[in-house]
Amino acid sequence: MFGIIKQKLPGPKRFTLPFSLSLKTREVIAAYIFLAPFLIFFSIFFVRATISSVNISFYDWRLLRPTRPYVGLDNYVDLFEDEIWWASVGHTVYFTAITVVGTTLVGLAAAVAVTRPVRGQGFFRVLLYIPQLMSVGAIGLIWNWLLSGQFGVINYILSFVGVRPINWLGEPDLVLPALSLATIWWTFGFPMLIFIAGLQGIPEQLYEAAKIDGASGWQSFVYITLPLLRPTILFVTVTGVIGHFQVFGQPYIISGGGGPGRASWTVIIYLYQQAWVAFRMGYGAAVAVAIAIIMAVITAVQFVTISRRVEY
Amino acid sequence: MFKRLSLISFALLLAMMGMMLSFSLRSTVAQDATATPAPTETPIVAEIGAGGTHISFWNGLTGSDGVTLNEMLAKFAEENPDVSVTVEMIAWNTLYQKLQTAFVAGTYPDMFLLHASEIPQYASYGVLRDLGDQYTSGGGWLPDDDLSETTMSGLVWDGMIYGIPLDNHGRGLWVNTDMFEAAGISPDPATAPTTYEGWVELFQKLTLDANGNNALSPDFDPENVVQWGYACGEWINVNFIAALYQHGGSFLSEDGKTITVNSEAGITALQQTYDLIYKYHVTPPPAGFDTWQGFGAGTVAVLPTGTWYRNQSLLQTDINSRAWPNWQFGPNKATWFGIHTFMVPAGLEGEKLDAVLQMIQWVSEHQIDWAASGQVPARLSAQAALDPENYPSNILLGQTFSEYGVQDPQTTVTQELLSLLDAGLQEALNDIKPVEQALNEAAELMQEALDRG
Repeated sequence: MFGIIKQKLPGPKRFTLPFSLSLKTREVIAAYIFLAPFLIFFSIFFVRATISSVNISFYDWRLLRPTRPYVGLDNYVDLFEDEIWWASVGHTVYFTAITVVGTTLVGLAAAVAVTRPVRGQGFFRVLLYIPQLMSVGAIGLIWNWLLSGQFGVINYILSFVGVRPINWLGEPDLVLPALSLATIWWTFGFPMLIFIAGLQGIPEQLYEAAKIDGASGWQSFVYITLPLLRPTILFVTVTGVIGHFQVFGQPYIISGGGGPGRASWTVIIYLYQQAWVAFRMGYGAAVAVAIAIIMAVITAVQFVTISRRVEY
Repeated sequence: MFKRLSLISFALLLAMMGMMLSFSLRSTVAQDATATPAPTETPIVAEIGAGGTHISFWNGLTGSDGVTLNEMLAKFAEENPDVSVTVEMIAWNTLYQKLQTAFVAGTYPDMFLLHASEIPQYASYGVLRDLGDQYTSGGGWLPDDDLSETTMSGLVWDGMIYGIPLDNHGRGLWVNTDMFEAAGISPDPATAPTTYEGWVELFQKLTLDANGNNALSPDFDPENVVQWGYACGEWINVNFIAALYQHGGSFLSEDGKTITVNSEAGITALQQTYDLIYKYHVTPPPAGFDTWQGFGAGTVAVLPTGTWYRNQSLLQTDINSRAWPNWQFGPNKATWFGIHTFMVPAGLEGEKLDAVLQMIQWVSEHQIDWAASGQVPARLSAQAALDPENYPSNILLGQTFSEYGVQDPQTTVTQELLSLLDAGLQEALNDIKPVEQALNEAAELMQEALDRG
């Protein structure tokens, strides 16, 4: 029998730092190394652009004009006094309120529906999520046609119950609800997906215990599902407000640039008009900063009001 | 209960999705059944020729006119094999944005096509080459007297000529001749009314409700119109400009420093269109009504549109139609027109500049081919050589542009002014604000824009 000779082979030379670091510090450094690619792009394309926007907002900045006079806070003062801006803020808040509530409710209903064991569950989940995958251009064209006062399918359906054609996109009072309807149909898939994940995280035993105690399905939904979904609802509504507040494509495509008149001008349509139609980049930058501040305030308020009752 | 809730939610969602899909499908099938031949697709980018001297050319001709111009450039490249061209066709609004950023970045094209009304803006930035040396008055090849005075006036800014015009494109009417004959009205443009009252009566005769009553009938039901005599919704600002000048008004004061659209003439002009909608019920409000679709579907008798509608009327609809000169609502004659104009960046020089100028000259000297796009060639000699059989609308409308055409104002902020005017007109004509208030508010915003410069 030959004995096994263990021979210690020389391993790769280990790099050692001339000083010692704690495990936590080493972990932090490693984390930043992994984050570095993102942080570099984030700094160049977001942080730098944001700082630049704030800077531009203090100038009368036109793209091709050789001089760009410093105007201090004049752009902000003009903005504060601009009635069209405040009307656009009002339209945006109205639109955001309808769409956030709508997508949350429809998304939750859809999640509940497709979480129950139903035959073809996966197929229906995909089917309901498909609109979310479409581009705003495609959605815009489809809904422009659906809502058309001349040849629209919605008016066609309503004609069966004796309703005369409604000019959905031509009536100032109807245009924002109509755009909201299109948006809810388009975007409820994302909240649905988040709610599905939230629902799957609720222990089944809670429903079983409630059932043994005689709770009805509705009571289980109200007293078990909804309270345990609060973190999910917070996430859905916060991301919804951030997303819907920046609406542009729907009024731009469906209601012809924010019409009738300015009835569906949103804050981003207003920004677009100032920066890319009038080419007032300084004023447009002030609008962008104002939008960011408004969204930050709304998000903070949401966090304070909803997260008080959230159990993580 | 929970299960029932799930099932109800599920059923409702499914019904919603199914409804959308089924009607989409149904409509597609229905459209296919009546489909007319598909137009030639306009490429977004066209590579023409293979010569070593390469020209990049941007324009906003995204319709059939883009195809026509590319065909002309292909002939040019055949005759000039040392030149190649990359043509990028970009929607006009996007082109304005792209040009500005391209000039900032130094990545601008070797030549581009814009409207003459944009000359002051770009010229004031110092990015345009003075093309006065291309005209005979500057020792060049293009006879100044081969352009109408109205065309020439649009090309000059601050004493210099910055463009070589390709065409006059502007407003006229397309009338459904079958509807005219059914209403007992001659479709001959020589019989067109010359007063607002005459036009109102014409539109009333052509507007029908579901019971077949026209808008002059006491039994007419304005809530149930199936055939409109007129459709005011396309390009309401240029229609307004025509009516404004017809009533003796103007866009700007003579010194160019004051907005005058809200003069008495302006208010009268806008009120007349408002009355066509809400008093005489002969046109739907602008918002939510596609005028081309309405005309193509046989629900509009008189379509105010542009010279570019020629190919649409010939190739894309079954409607029997012909062109008429624009309406006359005021005591004076006036119709709006614009000029597609070749422009050259100030920084271009050497071999490329020579090639660009050579190509512009070639296209200008073959402008008669451009009539196939529906537009009116800018050169009077090309207009005179048009075949009346093939180009009746070009000839008819071209004469009106030369004789009494009015253009957008020449300012450095014209696009902004037109955008603000358009919003005000929309507010008035969609009954969001009273006519005078809407026009005054628009004029105030326009004045601020003009003062900012």
